[in-house]
Amino acid sequence: MPTLKKVYRVLVAVPVWLACAALFLLMLLTFSDVILRSSFDAPIEAATELTRILVAVMVFAVMPHISVKGGHIAVDLTDGFFETLGLTRLRDGLILILSGGMLFWPVAQVWTLAERTRGYGDVTEYLGMPQYLTMWFIASGVTLAAIAMLISGLLTLIAPNFLKELQV
Amino acid sequence: MTAALIGFGIVLVLVLLRMPIVFAMGFVGTLGFAYERGGSMFDERGLRASLSMVGRQITDTAQDYGLSVIPLFILMGLFVNKGGMARELYAVSNAFLGHMRGGLAMATVMACGGFSAICGSSLATAATMSKVAMPEMRRFNYSDGLATASIAAGGTLGILIPPSVILVIYGILTETSIGKLFMAGIIPGLMGIVFYLGAVRYTVWRQPDAGPAGVRTAWPERLVALKSVWAVLLLFFLVIGGLYGIFDFAPLNLTFSPTEAAGMGAMGAFIIALARGGLNFKGMFEVLAETAVTSASLFAVLIGAQIFSNFVNVAGMPEALISLVTAYDVSPMMVMLMILLVYVVLGCVFESMSMLLLTVPIFFPLVTSLGFDPIWFGIVVVVVVEISLITPPVGLNVFILKGVVGDVSTGTIFKGVTPFWIADILRLVLIVLLPAIVLFLPNQMGGLGH
Repeated sequence: MPTLKKVYRVLVAVPVWLACAALFLLMLLTFSDVILRSSFDAPIEAATELTRILVAVMVFAVMPHISVKGGHIAVDLTDGFFETLGLTRLRDGLILILSGGMLFWPVAQVWTLAERTRGYGDVTEYLGMPQYLTMWFIASGVTLAAIAMLISGLLTLIAPNFLKELQV
Repeated sequence: MTAALIGFGIVLVLVLLRMPIVFAMGFVGTLGFAYERGGSMFDERGLRASLSMVGRQITDTAQDYGLSVIPLFILMGLFVNKGGMARELYAVSNAFLGHMRGGLAMATVMACGGFSAICGSSLATAATMSKVAMPEMRRFNYSDGLATASIAAGGTLGILIPPSVILVIYGILTETSIGKLFMAGIIPGLMGIVFYLGAVRYTVWRQPDAGPAGVRTAWPERLVALKSVWAVLLLFFLVIGGLYGIFDFAPLNLTFSPTEAAGMGAMGAFIIALARGGLNFKGMFEVLAETAVTSASLFAVLIGAQIFSNFVNVAGMPEALISLVTAYDVSPMMVMLMILLVYVVLGCVFESMSMLLLTVPIFFPLVTSLGFDPIWFGIVVVVVVEISLITPPVGLNVFILKGVVGDVSTGTIFKGVTPFWIADILRLVLIVLLPAIVLFLPNQMGGLGH
């Protein structure tokens, strides 16, 4: 269990670090672009495409994390009702499995789009970076979110204590 | 229209079963779109068209340049919070108003307004200010009702006074200029502060014991307190001034797009927090991680809302609503009043972001086709959403406060909030009847702020 916990922690921490780095770079990039443009008439030409890449990295790096940690916006109006009936765990498990399961088709579609972009050889305008890399990252983020939700949902139903211990 | 209504009903049921909004809207939107395109939810052609739309929506939203404004404004608010500026804003307001009856509650409202100018979230404003203002009001024996109500109501200003995350989401959903929306929020936001100050005065007029006068602060001390908030004022001036284009002269030549304004604001807040020693490496990581997580959840709901919006559009709901209104010959203002009523009712049970995402795709095309200004409608919606934040039984700000303060019943807070709620309704009526209140500033902007 301790080894599994360590692996889990690393799996959670690395994407969050990546998202933090992307966000910090995004802030520096936007600031530098404005200053260079206004003061020296020398804007960072690749700022727009870098911004797009950094935003995608930040959002999809943490997507698996927020999907299993209750980070998605939801309405908790009926929580008391489910708690009274003792059905909270069943509901949470089923919702996670359903949500993860329904991502199957979008995941396949996003991978198809990514592969199509690779096939066309699309690159970004200024830096000439292959666009499929960003698409792959997005597809990986959605795929991992779906897998994480399915596993988390199953564990919520059949081994809730194991899941709790893992997440401590 | 029937398919869209059934879809809306299913979304409501799924959302009430606590399915995250992104999945409820995305699921119904995908199948509904397939149904409209192929004549059946399982028709292969329809499903292919629908999945193609979903795939594009996911990849395009994730790489949308304009959406980078969301994480940057959230980052700015969180850095400002780390820099301890909420406490300083309260200290200044307290120095000027604290000696009056109800003065500490008025200082709370003013500080909330100031904090809103750098933080785009009502819940964050209420949570932060409750930690700062509540102990002070308790020390001066303020009634729990007035103390908590002033924070809960003052906190709602966070989503109207720019920058505002909810206005950004509205702008993206409806393709309306975010810069103009921000400008349009300023006067109604200031009106909110003035009306809330009136609500405090009314409360202490009815119950003088609710807000005893504090100690008068001498002018030299007031000036010292004022000096401590110069950085916040400068930051707000820089961000909003840049958006408005007031620095667009040589040698500065500074005009910001919303994303650039947010980037400058975030960097400014980062430097201020760093200079004040309020930020170590761990704190910085916490701020960045919280921003990334909050932004990702907002991006996700936006994707879900856009998928659902596409379904509502192909199902012909906007056109059907317009023909319905035309057939019954209802005046545009009557339609607007009915929409506002729907918002007030929904606001009793839904939290702000959910309400906005569920309703804007349906109401927006109708409202614009009736000749109402999209910027004005955005502000009206946000003001109604503000009201919902303090409306029983689900007024979210009230519950945030209950969570932080602990020993005050929600009933007491809701009772204390009543004069503020009435002030909000008065402000809404004024904004609806006199759209110039909202549109004056954005109309001066010309083409800036996109």
